[in-house]
Amino acid sequence: MNPGSDDLHVLLGAYVLGGLSDDDHRAFSEHLRTCVPCQTELGQVSGLPRLLDLAGPEGGPHLAEAAAGVAAGLPTEPDNERVTTLLAEVSRRRRRRRTWITGLAAAAAVAFFVGGAWLGPRWTATTPPTAGPTATSTLPTTHVEAAAVPGSSVRVDIALVTRGWGTQLDIDCEDMPKEGELALWVIDANGRATTAASWRATAAGYSKVTGATALRPNEIRSLEVRTGTGKVLASART
Amino acid sequence: MPLDDEAVAEIYREHGPMLRRVVWRATSDANRVDDIVQEVILRVWKQAPDAENLRAYLITTARHLIVDQHRAAGRRPQQAQLVEIAERDSALDRALDQVLVEEALGRLQTNHREIVRCLYYERLTVAETSVRVGVPEGTVKSRAYYAVRNLRVILDEMGVTR
Ligand SMILES: [Zn+2]
Repeated sequence: MNPGSDDLHVLLGAYVLGGLSDDDHRAFSEHLRTCVPCQTELGQVSGLPRLLDLAGPEGGPHLAEAAAGVAAGLPTEPDNERVTTLLAEVSRRRRRRRTWITGLAAAAAVAFFVGGAWLGPRWTATTPPTAGPTATSTLPTTHVEAAAVPGSSVRVDIALVTRGWGTQLDIDCEDMPKEGELALWVIDANGRATTAASWRATAAGYSKVTGATALRPNEIRSLEVRTGTGKVLASART
Repeated sequence: MPLDDEAVAEIYREHGPMLRRVVWRATSDANRVDDIVQEVILRVWKQAPDAENLRAYLITTARHLIVDQHRAAGRRPQQAQLVEIAERDSALDRALDQVLVEEALGRLQTNHREIVRCLYYERLTVAETSVRVGVPEGTVKSRAYYAVRNLRVILDEMGVTR
C-alpha cells in the first residue's frame, strides 16, 4: 500500500459530490483504476447524484435555511395525542375481535349450564409471563385462555405471537392430567387440524411449552389441547 | 393486552414523525396524513412487526397505501386507462423518492449535510467550501466521504436502493 493511499480513498466523497480540484480529481481517477475497495464503494454510491437531484435545486427543505419549515402546513398537535389516538384505534379493533369472542363464549356458557357444569370459559386478556424470552415481548401477541370442556378442569393460556414464518404458540397450562401425552392442535378455516406442539404430562400437572405453526394468527380458527388419545381437554376459538 | 399497546406506541414514537412528513409531502393532504400513518403502523404491526428493516417496510406500506388511495380517488370507469395510471404512479413514485431523499438528508449529521449542500447543490469547490464552512480542506474531504457513505446507509435503510 503506498503511503498516500489513505488520503486518496477519502476523496471518493468529493469525487461523487463534485468540487475536487483538477489535481485531486486526476489523482483519485488514477487511484480508482487499481483500488478495488474504492471501485466497490463507488458502485454503491454512484446512484446518489440522481437521487440528490430529486430533492430539487434547493436541496429540499432540509437544506433550505429554514429547516424547521419542513412540516409547514402540517398540523402539529403534541405527539402524545397521536399515540393516544392510535392506541384507541388498536383497542377499537381489538374490541371488535373480543366482542365476537364474547358472543361465542356466551353460547358456550349456555351449553355448559345445560350440561350442569359451569366451568366458566374465560376469554380475557391476561398478562403474559414476565419471565418469557425478551425478544417476544415487543412482538404483537394475542392471548387466549382456552375454555376447559365440561368434566375437565385444565387451565390453558396460549399466547399467539406473530412471526415472519407463521405463529409462535406459547402455551402455559395448569391442572393438567398427570400422565400421558398432550398436544396442541391448530385448526384452520377449512377445519384442517394439525399438531403444533406435543409434550409429556408432568407430575405437577403444570407445563410451559412453545409450539409453532405456519399459519398466521388470523388463519387460525381454533386451538385445542388434546390428550394423546385424542380427548379434547380445552379449546379456544380465535 | 398492554403488550400490543406498547409495541404499537413504540413503532409510532420511533417512526411516526418521519412517516407523517413523508405522507404529508407525498399527498399534501393534511386531513389524510394521520389516517394514513395510523393505518400504515397498524398494518405493519399486524403483518410483519419483526421485519428486519421496519423503516423500509413502513415506507413501502405507506407507498402502497398512498398509491391505492390515489388510484381509488382518480378512477373513473371510462377513463381508467392503463397508461394514465402508470404515468400517475410513476409521478407519485418520484414524489415519494424525493420526499425520502429529503428525509435522508434531514437525518444526516448537520456538518455532513452542510458539506453536501456546498459541494453538490451549490457547486462550490472543496477550497471554497473550506472557506465557507471554516474548516481545513482535508476536513471537507473527509466529511464529504462520510456524508456520502452515511447517506447511502440511510437510504438503504429506507428501502431506496437505486
Ligand atoms: Zn481506494
